[in-house]
Amino acid sequence: MTLGRVVRNGTVAVLAALWLVPTWLLVVNALVPAGSYSGSPHWLPQDFGLFANMAQAWDKAHLGPALGNSLVYSVASAVAAVVVATFAAFATIIMPVKRRVLWFWVIYSGTLLPLQVFIRPLFLSYAESSLYDTQFGLVLIYTAIAIPFAFFVMRNYALTLPREVIEAARMDGASWWRVFWQIHVPLSRSAMIAVFVFQFVAVWNDLMFGITLTTSRNIRPVMAALADLQGNYSNVGPPVVLAGALLVSLPTLVLFFSAQRFFISSLRITR
Amino acid sequence: MSTSTTDARTAAPDGGSAPTPPRDGRRTPMTPSWRVQRERLTAGGFMAPAVLLVAVFLLAPFAWTVYRSFFGDTRTSPFSWFDNYTLFASDPALFRSIQNTLMWVAGTVLLPFVLGLAIACMTNASRFSRLARLCVVLPYALSGSAVAVVWNFMLTTDGAVNQVLMALNLDSLAHGWLLTWPGNSVVMILANAWQATGVAVILFLVGLQSIPPETLEAGALDGAGGWQQFRHIVLPQLRPVSIIVIGMSLVNGLKSFDLIWVLTQGGPGRATETLAVSMYNETFLELRPGAGAAIAVVLTVIVLAASWLYLRRQLDVKGE
Repeated sequence: MTLGRVVRNGTVAVLAALWLVPTWLLVVNALVPAGSYSGSPHWLPQDFGLFANMAQAWDKAHLGPALGNSLVYSVASAVAAVVVATFAAFATIIMPVKRRVLWFWVIYSGTLLPLQVFIRPLFLSYAESSLYDTQFGLVLIYTAIAIPFAFFVMRNYALTLPREVIEAARMDGASWWRVFWQIHVPLSRSAMIAVFVFQFVAVWNDLMFGITLTTSRNIRPVMAALADLQGNYSNVGPPVVLAGALLVSLPTLVLFFSAQRFFISSLRITR
Repeated sequence: MSTSTTDARTAAPDGGSAPTPPRDGRRTPMTPSWRVQRERLTAGGFMAPAVLLVAVFLLAPFAWTVYRSFFGDTRTSPFSWFDNYTLFASDPALFRSIQNTLMWVAGTVLLPFVLGLAIACMTNASRFSRLARLCVVLPYALSGSAVAVVWNFMLTTDGAVNQVLMALNLDSLAHGWLLTWPGNSVVMILANAWQATGVAVILFLVGLQSIPPETLEAGALDGAGGWQQFRHIVLPQLRPVSIIVIGMSLVNGLKSFDLIWVLTQGGPGRATETLAVSMYNETFLELRPGAGAAIAVVLTVIVLAASWLYLRRQLDVKGE
């Protein structure tokens, strides 16, 4: 049994070390001052050029506006999607609605389809309706793309809530609107936060809509800017590109560590 | 706009079977039909934003893409039946794309599943393994584009992998990892596994924690060894989680775009395209919207079939 334990711990240690190597190299080489990068990867940290590298990435890839944009897109679309999806979930589960299954599939079907199937019609109609290359256009599509899944989770959550409170409130003459905001939303808060975290990360990490529906630097989201920076890999040098990647990943990393409970529960509820 | 949805629904024949709970009858003195109609109108108002956004931004473009896939590539080309779909048989780039997609599917299902299960099982019990687990889960917090940047750094000609190989005197193995097929697809699948295994670990840990310890104790009493316990007690109870992990990785593998796009843009010479990337290339770079639409439809069919794997179960349990 002890031999088994040794083997097991050894395997875990090796796997963990293997997994850590890319992360380690990312951090170490993002620290190396861009000027003194020797052409081959560093394995141990030397000097501290992280902030200078980040500043350079910030300038070269115009990360400032991109980060601001992505923050707006992620927060606005995630909030909008959560609220809209909770409305719909409330309607299909709590309120007396006919053809619940039909409405469920109408809303939910959006999450099953790959993004590729939407992209060109959206591109064309955005170009025609002057939504192309606008912040509002991106918020709209990000919200729409987030709704089906948020709806799925909120609906499953609504199924588990006790009906008695709502029935009692209705008996006392509360309107549906009031029941929703004063009873349903407070009861669903934890699921709503988990969905918000999930959708925030999804929007933040999106690349495809960013490179398709925007062109100008003050509209495009952050992953499009990072892809652009990566395209200049040989010009700006690895430390700057890696520092840029680290910088744009910070919000999701912080979210991951600070809201781990919600992050994990957002995974669990989902699937 | 919102009224049109509700009207469509309220105008439908209700045949007196409207699901009105009797409690409302006591509360409001209005005539039943008016009350029912009002309730439905309110419910329609609650649903309208979600239904409209999904219909306008997702379902309508989907329908248009399906329609578009039956026409040629120019703006005025006539209805061409399944011509665009026959490209899969004739176009070598698309054939390669299908090969790559199959490789991606196999790799993204097998690697995160096996590694995730192994790591979850091995780190479930011991305490020092929290740290090990963190190492594996951490990349999951990165975006596909950031993962691509990291792995480009690993895999370029003067990158870390070649550096290690040189240091080990294995110069003959060092080469441009992203330049030759099928090696370039394989390394990208590994990069994807590096990121995706974290989710599988978390899901499997949740599954392991829900296994009642009595079942393991009973097995141990009956003389089952470690492997036998795993094979006959743990694994069967992980079945539901396994299906979810497999279905999820399958769909994610089929949809993966960012990693390939940032690492190779599907190149060199369209050698690393999967269907998701081919669709983008055909539509926006080769300017062949008809072919692009057909690829999108084929991809959709495959994704739907894969989703069915785990949806079937989930909707059975939670659906109506």
